[in-house]
Amino acid sequence: MAGLELLSDQGYRVDGRRAGELRKIQARMGVFAQADGSAYIEQGNTKALAVVYGPHEIRGSRARALPDRALVNCQYSSATFSTGERKRRPHGDRKSCEMGLQLRQTFEAAILTQLHPRSQIDIYVQVLQADGGTYAACVNAATLAVLDAGIPMRDFVCACSAGFVDGTALADLSHVEEAAGGPQLALALLPASGQIALLEMDARLHEDHLERVLEAAAQAARDVHTLLDRVVRQHRAELRGGHRLVLGAGFPAADPAHLHVGERHGLHHGGGAVCGRRPCPGFCPGLRRPPQEVGGSASGLA
Amino acid sequence: MAPPVRYCIPGERLCNLEEGSPGSGTYTRHGYIFSSLAGCLMKSSENGALPVVSVVRETESQLLPDVGAIVTCKVSSINSRFAKVHILYVGSMPLKNSFRGTIRKMSEQLKKTRLLVEIYKSFRPGDIVLAKVISLGDAQSNYLLTTAENELGVVVAHSESGIQMVPISWCEMQCPKTHTKEFRKVARVQPEFLQT
Repeated sequence: MAGLELLSDQGYRVDGRRAGELRKIQARMGVFAQADGSAYIEQGNTKALAVVYGPHEIRGSRARALPDRALVNCQYSSATFSTGERKRRPHGDRKSCEMGLQLRQTFEAAILTQLHPRSQIDIYVQVLQADGGTYAACVNAATLAVLDAGIPMRDFVCACSAGFVDGTALADLSHVEEAAGGPQLALALLPASGQIALLEMDARLHEDHLERVLEAAAQAARDVHTLLDRVVRQHRAELRGGHRLVLGAGFPAADPAHLHVGERHGLHHGGGAVCGRRPCPGFCPGLRRPPQEVGGSASGLA
Repeated sequence: MAPPVRYCIPGERLCNLEEGSPGSGTYTRHGYIFSSLAGCLMKSSENGALPVVSVVRETESQLLPDVGAIVTCKVSSINSRFAKVHILYVGSMPLKNSFRGTIRKMSEQLKKTRLLVEIYKSFRPGDIVLAKVISLGDAQSNYLLTTAENELGVVVAHSESGIQMVPISWCEMQCPKTHTKEFRKVARVQPEFLQT
């Protein structure tokens, strides 16, 4: 029986792709209403879910608060059913911690943290199915989720993996190609400026080949950017076109202090806020926003 | 109607620094203005000055209390030295997660009147208070707030019998049913916002 060839003579890979071809990417934004931002991405068979909360007050020890920037907290978790064999992963194990640290470094480079001093931004990523390129899928999902949450970013962060077989650089490796043991490189790029947010490789690769592999990964990341751009615009078209009865960020999550103001105080309300779950009995005239106002012109952001 | 609104994504180059000045949702780099949010591009034309270029989202994102912002908060506990509050609204926007704040006794001193205000006579737990942020706080403390202005102070308060009180003067409120007076530091409401 012939061995498994990663790259055939005609230039086809195991799953029929060409050397520089990406797997099919499908993504959705705003999958969870209760989180500030969320996104789901499928890159081939790799499925990742990202959820973002923030910016909010620092949880836990206040000593960790940075006086001039926001703290970015990333957590990575891999489902027990994500690999071929069911494997129970304890929460603080080495791989999760390392991946969380890499995600944090990536997003600290992209998010404009100076705008939110003394606050915390949480990014939680969950891998539902791992078929190679998990770091890249996590970064792409987290980018969409951060965008969905409205946290200002310098640029998209698009990531892709790359490998090197038989003198050819391959882009977007699947699990079979990763398991074959060749060198693999993970690259996270900010496409508009071409700056690298994170570059990671722990294998042996001759420096003559590094340039080519890096270029293949960068080109793949730019292609991912084109796709994510389309996803964002499509999501916005859906928001504007469809009936959206859920109002924006006006719902307080828990409602411990339902505010009833007997008389209007000296503030301009301007239709900004929405009371909690109970319909307001008309007591707070300035605090109720009529449902038709979604998607209209934005009220002046102070 | 209005010209088609341009939708931009983070990292998209909007214009030159000579053609506009950066507003909210943008950042500048190498003499150009880039977008930092996914939203609609807005150009506000000012008379004389450069137009302010900003990117606005349809759903407003979370606002953080900033120094000098007027916030609406609820008193959670009091002490002889300070009152701990939950910040609920920043300006007129509700917060999804409440922040913690502190109103200290020292900040109550009005320079004009030189009155040493007692916390117990200014707030009680459960009061809704309008305050201003004076500091984001350091490693040990939360947001520091003050009510040392005429327009700041208690807006809604309930008497010990649980009925909402009516303000009588800047330092007293009266319960309409039992007619007992209680001390509070009352916010002076602008006359045009009073419901008559």
